[in-house]
Parts: sequence; C-alpha cells; structure tokens
Amino acid sequence: MTGAGGAADVPVPAPAPSSVDVPVDVSAGECGTILVAPAADDAATEGPDFTRAVLDVAGAVLTWPVLGAPGPPSAWLHDAGRAQQWLWALYGERVALAVHERASGRPTGRQDRARVPADPTALAGDAARLALGHWTARWWPASYPDGIPVLEPDVLGVETAALTHRCQQLFDDGGDQPDDCAAELIEDHQAALAPLIQWWHAAPRSTHTARHLETVLSLVDAAADGAGLDGPALRHLRAALGERRRAGAPADPGTLFARHGGYALAAGAPTATGARMIARGAGTNDWRRYPPGFVDAAEDAVSWTVRALGARRRIEVEVVAHGAAPTAGAPLVAEVRVNGGHRNRVSLARRDDLWAGHADLDLNTGPPTGAQPPRVEVAVLLPGFDPGPAPAPPTGPGATPGAGTSPANDRAARDAIRALARRRLATAAPNLPYDVPPHAATAVPFLAETAAAATAADEDY
Amino acid sequence: MPSPRQPTGERRPRALVIDRAWRDLGPGLASLSGPDGAPLTRTVKLIVLPLIVRPAHRPELAADFLEATAAARLEGLIRGSGPPLMATAQWFTLLKKVRRALGVVAGNPQDLYFQRCFELAVEHGVPRAGADVTARAVVQDVADTTGGRTVEALKSHLADTARRSLIEVELAAAWESRPPPADAGAAVALAAEALEACGTPEGAAHSPAYAAMVEADHGGLFGRALWAAPRGVWAAGDDLPDHLGLSARRLPPRPEVGRGASTATLPAPLDRTLFERLFVVLQSSSRREELPTVPELVARETGRSCAPLGLYDASLRVAVVLGGGLACGLDPLGTGQHAPGRTAAHRTVNSRWRREASVLRARRMTVSPRPDPGGGVLDALAQDLRTPWAAYMRRLWVRLHGRDAHDAPLKDLASAWAVLDGVARSVMMDHRAKVRAALRSLAAAPVVAPSAAPAAAPDAAPDPVLAAERSGA
Repeated sequence: MTGAGGAADVPVPAPAPSSVDVPVDVSAGECGTILVAPAADDAATEGPDFTRAVLDVAGAVLTWPVLGAPGPPSAWLHDAGRAQQWLWALYGERVALAVHERASGRPTGRQDRARVPADPTALAGDAARLALGHWTARWWPASYPDGIPVLEPDVLGVETAALTHRCQQLFDDGGDQPDDCAAELIEDHQAALAPLIQWWHAAPRSTHTARHLETVLSLVDAAADGAGLDGPALRHLRAALGERRRAGAPADPGTLFARHGGYALAAGAPTATGARMIARGAGTNDWRRYPPGFVDAAEDAVSWTVRALGARRRIEVEVVAHGAAPTAGAPLVAEVRVNGGHRNRVSLARRDDLWAGHADLDLNTGPPTGAQPPRVEVAVLLPGFDPGPAPAPPTGPGATPGAGTSPANDRAARDAIRALARRRLATAAPNLPYDVPPHAATAVPFLAETAAAATAADEDY
Repeated sequence: MPSPRQPTGERRPRALVIDRAWRDLGPGLASLSGPDGAPLTRTVKLIVLPLIVRPAHRPELAADFLEATAAARLEGLIRGSGPPLMATAQWFTLLKKVRRALGVVAGNPQDLYFQRCFELAVEHGVPRAGADVTARAVVQDVADTTGGRTVEALKSHLADTARRSLIEVELAAAWESRPPPADAGAAVALAAEALEACGTPEGAAHSPAYAAMVEADHGGLFGRALWAAPRGVWAAGDDLPDHLGLSARRLPPRPEVGRGASTATLPAPLDRTLFERLFVVLQSSSRREELPTVPELVARETGRSCAPLGLYDASLRVAVVLGGGLACGLDPLGTGQHAPGRTAAHRTVNSRWRREASVLRARRMTVSPRPDPGGGVLDALAQDLRTPWAAYMRRLWVRLHGRDAHDAPLKDLASAWAVLDGVARSVMMDHRAKVRAALRSLAAAPVVAPSAAPAAAPDAAPDPVLAAERSGA
C-alpha cells in the first residue's frame, strides 16, 4: 500500500457480532467433490441462471443467490486441499475442519452430511460483494422504459478490480480462476481512473462516498503495483494518492460519467402503402438468449406487428436496444413461431434505438386454429450464443430438478431482479454508512450505481 | 480482520496459524501483505512455506491442519523470521522501484523477485547505501535469465544454410531408421485400467497398470501404431482417428526443419516443423533458464521429432495414451452421447465440465449446444466442444513435449493424473477465453465478421496451469 491508502486507513467492515452464526452443511458430492451449503438453502433459492452470482476461487466454485438474504455462499470444492488456504477465513475454522475431515475420509459421525456453524467473516462479505460486482456486469437490467440506467462499465470494472485485490486470499496462481483478474480489469477499465480521482477530489472529505472512492483507488494502486502494471493513468493515480488530498474543482458524477445522447425513439417502421395492421403483440425477452449490452432489459422490449399487403402477410419485429449497444455488428435475430409451428428467424438491424426486422409470414403453418386468430410467439436471441431451453439445474447444494425453468417463474425472477436494481439505486442516492456487518456488504452501492443514480437525477429520469 | 473462534478440537488450519503469526510480526510487511494485513497468497507460497516453514524438512508441518505443538513450532519459525521478512519487504519495494525506473514490464514482480528478495535480506539485511546498485543488478539478471534461449536465437541458429542441410540429412536418417509399426491394443486396454485408478488420490497412488505401461513402453507402441494408420483402436463404433487430431493427415509426415512459426496458424502437433515445435517450448516455458542451450535443443529435437509420438521419455508417451483414452470419452456439452463415465477419470472430468457449463450460464457466456449455421464464431467454438479430443490432445501434447524438453518425466500415476486433469482445466479455460474474446469483438466490431478465427491459439498461448504444476513439482 502506498500514500494515503495505508492498510490501516482502509475501512474494513467491523468485526461481526458473534451472534449471527449461520449453519452450513458439509457433504460429499460426486467424484470426490465436497459441498458446503447454507442449511437454509432450500429449493426456493434455486432460480434461473441470472439469479446466481458465481466466483471461481482456488479449488472451488462459490455461488450466492442474488435475490436471497445475504449470507455465506454455497461452495463446490473440487480440490479441498487448495481450498484450505481460504476456507477458515471465509467460513471459519469449524467449517474448514469439517471439510478437512470429509476430504480425509473421516466424517464426524456416520451421517453423510455434517451441520457446522459458519462464522460471519469479513472475507465472506468481501467475496459476496465481488461476486455481485461480476454479476452486475453481466445481468444488470438496464432499461430505458423501466428507468433503470446503464452502469458505467469502467467504473464498475475498477471497483471489481479493487474488490479482487481485497479478496486475494481466495486465489492462488493455479491458472483456473478467471476471477483472479485484478490486473486485466485494471488494464481494461483504467479509463475510469481519471474521472474517479476527480470525483474523489471533489467529494466532501468526510462523506462515505469520499472514503469509498479513496478505498477503491488505494486498492487499485496496490493491486497494480503488486502486479507490475504501469502507464500514464496509473502514474496519475499514484501521484494523486501520494499527495495530500487537495480540494478539487467541483465535479459531480452526473457530469463526469454522463452518457452521450438520449434516446431517439424511432418513428414507426416505414410500411408499404396500403398495408393493413391485422395483429400485434409483445414477445418474450429472455435475457439468457443473448449477451449483455445488446437488448434493453424491459419485459416488453420485444414487440411485433403483422400487416397485410394484399394477399401477403408480413411480420415486423422491433426490439428496444440496450442504452450502450453497439450500433452494428451484432447479428441478433428474432425467432418467430406461428401456431406452435416451425421456428423461423428474422434478422434484425439497428434503426435508431431499435433492433428491427421484418419477414413474410405464412399464417397457415402449424395445426389449423379454426376461427381463432393466429398465435404468434416472438423472441430475440443471438445465434450461436442462445443456450436453448434451460437445462435442469446442476446437482449440488439446494438443486431441485426443474426449478426455475417455467416461463412464469422466469418472468417473476426478472421482475424480482428489476426490483432489486431499483432498490439498490434508491439507496445509492443518499450516503449510506460504508462500515457494515460483513453479510450486509453487498447492500452497499457500487460506485457505478452511485454515479448512475446521480446521473439519473440530473437527467430527471 | 476475520475473527473466527476456536473450534472444538485443538487442531488448527495451517493457513490460519501462518496468518496469525504474520500479523503478530507487526507493521513493516505491507509490500508482502494483502490490503487487510494477511500475507499475500504468493508470499505464503513463495517465501513462507518454501523458505521458512520448509515442510519437506519438517513433515509435522506439512499438513493442512496442525496439532498444538506443531502450530507452536510454526509460530516460532515465523516469529524468528521477523527481521529477514521486514528486510525482504524493503528489498521488494526497492526492486519494484528499480524495475519501474528501468522500464521492465514483463512478468509478475512477485513471482520474479520474492525469493531473490528473501535471499538478499538474509545476505545483506535491510537495503543500505549502495543497495540501488545491487537491486539494479538483480532486476537485470532476472530479466535476462533466458541465457540466449529465445526464438530469435533459434531463428538465427537455423538460418545457417550448411547447418540446415545437415539437419535435413539427420532428420531423413532418423525417420528412415524408425522402429517398425506395432500393435497398440494392449496399451489401450491397460490405459483404461489406469484411468479407472485416477480420479482419487488413493487410487492413483496404488495402480500397477501405469508402471507396467511405462516399463513396457506402451506409449512407444502406440506411437509406432500411428505410423501405420490403423483405425478403431479407441472404441468400436466410434469414428475417431486413432491419433485424435495429433495429425491432420492419415499418416504423420516426416518433420521438416522449418523457418518460422505463427501462434495463430500452428498445425497439428505431429505435423509441426522442428522450428514450430521448439518455438512453442521457447514461447511458453516459464523456466527457460533450465532448458538446454539452443544448439542442444535443436540437436535433441531432431531425434525427438522422429521418435514415437514426437517424445523421448517413456512415461510421457504413456501419458499420451492415457490422455487419448480420456479425451475420446469427454463430454463438455453434457450431451450424454458418450458413455457417461467409462472410468473414474472420465467421471471426474465430465462432472467438472458439467459444473463449468452451469457456471458459464450464470456468467452469461454460453454457446448453443446444437449446431447453428448462423452462429458464426460462437458456433465454431461450440463445434470445438463437440470434438473435445482435438483441443485436449493438442494441449496435452504441447505440455508433455515441454516436459520432455525440460527432461521432466512423470514419475507415477498421480503425477500423470495431475497433468491429465490440468489439461482438462486448461481446455475449459481456453474455451472461456475464446468465448469472451468472441463476445468482445461482437460488442466492439462495427461490421459483421462471420466466423473469423477466434483470437487465442490454444497451444501457443501461455499455459498458466503448466506453470503452477511445474513450480509445484
């Protein structure tokens, strides 16, 4: 650590009150693996893929349900020996010992699972926050119609790098932990360093935001120094941390991280003269079928219209684009299915803030529906990426075959994620205390959320 | 700082004992510590364990959990090392400063300097007047440990026309005097037995099959079988080439000398030129200073490239047979097409890959499991997962070839399994890196670029698992 960021100055979450032990179960998994899962982790917490935050650490994969109450993660240990470097620090000694005994084939008692209390540790809080940072980069439900702003990826990336360094105990150099990537994150997102320094200088000294900024910047400096990174942005950071904090010109995150251009809501698609609208509706917006950053997360972001042009029938599909989507390059398609028949693809191209496309349609496909209007299903996806229907959740802690795969469950889960995002943005606006018990560490807003909340306020979302 | 309480038993995690003793040393260790004061993972791995605790000499300290007396012993060792550790921290800070001043950027300074700093601390104490000169010498020395073992040196060595024609003659002679083709049936049968013993440490420690295979040079038999291009050695009914993609041809060709190499266009391992084979060794080796000199490397590679499987060592050749047996039953997409677990090794790797698939869904980094002609680069990556043996065998061969060049055989089945399992992890990590690169270029590219080659070439890219495995060996 250098300059103002000496280890002693970094606000470390206060030692946890000793009364909140959480019981976890330690059991044997398949092929010599060992599972650690919160005892309360029942079927209800196993949701669709986008409700899980994951972290690859030395010898294990850690998982948290983002919609659940804060608590220790589930761990799938494939190398219990390597995991011993951090198990005691994340779960406490009793869990570490239970894993050790399970791994050496000496289970306490004859049960196939041992229930052990886990200590609420600082590392558990930091790890949960790091995992949530990665989750946010992948699944944050940014949406113009829903009023959920895009988070600045560089600001989030810098804070994730800082958290990675803080969680360094979790990683070894085994080469199989892509989350041990503080150096890559710093290199990718160092564009945010200068505005973050400006924000730090401008923030009133005593505020939690100022301390939060200083903590993040100090951690990034230490991580970069340890990894041997160098460059103008990092030298600027080192100099800024080295000198006594000077009062900067006033700057608020709303202007520092303002996104360019508002939404240009597209006028209706140019339609052929004489076209007659015969049906319209909303499609399905399944976040799992395309990568982050392309499509607006709103439930009704996908819409379609069927028009008649003489004897021809044409379907037009419009998908609201993500606020930071590239203007071209993504070969997104709409999947159109009439009366449960064959799934046809309609390629989409960018038009203002929409991905739009159209195709001729044969309404007579599929089983005859008599006098019923045709049933049209439309979804958006990226070919090659689309994982198809979600498979049953993996066997593991709390796994329940078939859970979370119905359309109604998915929709409810998406709504819950939007509600989570709104809650976090609401708390990001005022200054919240940064010193919180470890298991509430995830509740503290990320700097990117604070900046987005300020920007949203400026823009009067 | 975490404050876990004392468990019921008196045994305590060694990592915790180290952590406590470290913190008790007090301030002055910041450059070797994490943000909360704990020792860095690399500090423990590169300094505390090998240089202070030395579990090889103190077996009672080699366990993950320590009895009270052993814990006290460990605490005492660390407490007694306070002064050299403080000095190590100061030397490290100084070396980083010198490194920056010299503009050295390659490598991780912790990996490069930690042990040297401890040595400096033991020899000189804290850095005093004149330490800058010492530090500069160390940084320059570390930056130049290749001792001329570089791709450039290889290029100029092979640029000499007379030398090239001499090597040509040697290659032709070595290729002509190869032993006759052999039958690999027995090797494949024993491989299944050895793979069944993998997957658990106990099994890997007590398998007679591996020793028998090395003893009888079953890997050599397999390599000789490939020279005759039989089919169907792996499993009846499977339409797999026996070499599992180690060559793109029916019969591996006689190696050429070669003049250059490009990581993006490296051919299948057994189709590579002498230059290409050594290029990969020189590019990816983490301990180049331990390699033979370039002329020696070239001389050995001339014979090696004409040996069965392009490898000299019998244990490394056996690892190819084991890897082949494993690779042709891998199922990264979880299609269940192959028998779910022919052996314990298959079950272990396939189980890990199933978990990985679930993690990739949570990471929003999926590829469509079914072929999709509109899928572009991502579809190509999925196709690689449908034929996982090709990527697996490439990675495996490169790693074994690197070991052969370093003269590092696999002494028992447990070491072989560590390599086989590590390659499976590398293939998984390669896949992730390629998906990530593909998604990135999609988000950045202004125009649609269908099915351009993915960014990372699998076997020339640095292989971090290899580095870890080697340093752990």
